[in-house]
Amino acid sequence: MAGVLSRAAAIVGAAEAKEIGYPETPKTATQLHIEAIKAVSVQTGIPISRINGVFGAGWSSQISEYLGLHPSYIDTTAVGGCSFEMHVHHALAAIHAGIIDVALVTHGENGWSARATHGRGTGRGRGGGDPWDPGSMFTNPYGISGAPSNYSHAMTRHNHRYGTTPSDFANIAVVTRQWATLNPRAVMYSKETHPFGGPITLEDVNTARLVSWPLTLLHCCLVTDYGGAVLVTSPEIARSVKTKPVWIAGAGESMSHSNMLEMEDFTATSAAASGATAYKMAGMGPEDMEMAMIYDSFTITAGITAEMLGLAPRGEGFTLWRDGHAAPGGRLPINTNGGGLSFNHSGMYGMQLLVEAYRQLSGTAEDGINGVAGKQTSAKSCVVNGTGGSLSTTGTLVLVAD
Amino acid sequence: MADYKKPIPEPDPVSQPFWDGAKSGKLMLPRCTSCNRVHWYPRLICPHCHSMEIEWFEASGNGHIHTFAVQHRAFGGWADEVPFVTAYIDLNEGDRMLTVLRGVDPNKPESIKIGGPVKVEFEAATEDVHIPFWRVVEA
Repeated sequence: MAGVLSRAAAIVGAAEAKEIGYPETPKTATQLHIEAIKAVSVQTGIPISRINGVFGAGWSSQISEYLGLHPSYIDTTAVGGCSFEMHVHHALAAIHAGIIDVALVTHGENGWSARATHGRGTGRGRGGGDPWDPGSMFTNPYGISGAPSNYSHAMTRHNHRYGTTPSDFANIAVVTRQWATLNPRAVMYSKETHPFGGPITLEDVNTARLVSWPLTLLHCCLVTDYGGAVLVTSPEIARSVKTKPVWIAGAGESMSHSNMLEMEDFTATSAAASGATAYKMAGMGPEDMEMAMIYDSFTITAGITAEMLGLAPRGEGFTLWRDGHAAPGGRLPINTNGGGLSFNHSGMYGMQLLVEAYRQLSGTAEDGINGVAGKQTSAKSCVVNGTGGSLSTTGTLVLVAD
Repeated sequence: MADYKKPIPEPDPVSQPFWDGAKSGKLMLPRCTSCNRVHWYPRLICPHCHSMEIEWFEASGNGHIHTFAVQHRAFGGWADEVPFVTAYIDLNEGDRMLTVLRGVDPNKPESIKIGGPVKVEFEAATEDVHIPFWRVVEA
């Protein structure tokens, strides 16, 4: 039986900034936000002035001010890449409670342009740690720098516990690239869009240069620019707009730790909990899902998450990709946009998951991806799972089309 | 130690007993006197039972490798030392620490054993701050 919040709101539109990926001229985060917000307003016919809830991973008040909005619900939940799935969860509750009826979830991040204009990190970081991350005094001294250097420890532990290999997980990179070759907006769409674009093989992944053993470069996501926005509304508004609703049948969120120092089981994430909550609210289970959008900051992230969401047994998540089930034409398409691995990953990738899930379920992918044809599935249900931090935080949504 | 180029912790009141111990070569750990469980990193409150009665004791300095990775890309002072091995260490007394693992060949990760025994040692980054590192020892 579905929970009281199930289908209490719908996503009615999803759009992106004009130029994403590696823009020729550097973009600002604000520009990426605003282009996407304008696009989703045009797509749905809902005026920006009609928005009464603003949800963003930080900066919600600045974006509201920029738009001249005075929202009655302001959410700045910023717990990494899953923040946007959590925003949808929170918007669902706020709409059900009658506080708001049009929620904007927005993201703009110039992962690529920021590097172009400011350079990469210096790693000089404070050895004393950050006041808001008390464990960091005991992790900063040890040369851990950025996500890959932490996630690799999870791969090693998974290999040890289940007898898996990095090559097993390389299948995820290969299949995800197959999807990217179907999406003209993907950075790795073809040799024209990127020198290393187009199809890749297991050997390519296995022999790419090591970033943090056992992760080679092709086990790791891109660093790009992205702007995306979705509108979540009450059922009444969802039925009245020109776009098709995608119903929020289930939502859940959880966390296991913040600093990886406190990650108890390196082969598990809190997606087991957030997924269970979302499925329960929806009155559905993993067997009812016709596609999945799973955060793939690294191959290990997607592999473990598939296990946590019940899409495969523990230790066997990678088989969905290896055996072709997750691939184009497979029984459970996963990451149909080409993923964080080959489509786009700006730093926090949860918005990209939402936009693609909406496109596939609403059928707007059929009409085109920003003007370019791009239908990939005919799925009517999708589990969406964001992962933030160092396999730390998770937000899960079960989305369904009429 | 004047030339220690890597991040140096800045002790604070909560962690000071750890750094005092480290300076004399002792691995000090916080333990809750209510539930008797060790926690790491140091806290004002026990994350297991939420008692605020925390004591410090000298640990054995022994542990085992929980998992590890080989860093081929790093920034700042660590950039000069790639490749190097990072590992999470299960402490014999409970809970876990992160370290740069010593006594291993970063070019032969397959020779590093999860579960293998390690012992703590300290490197003086400054006169007052001695940083713990763990070294693989004979089983």
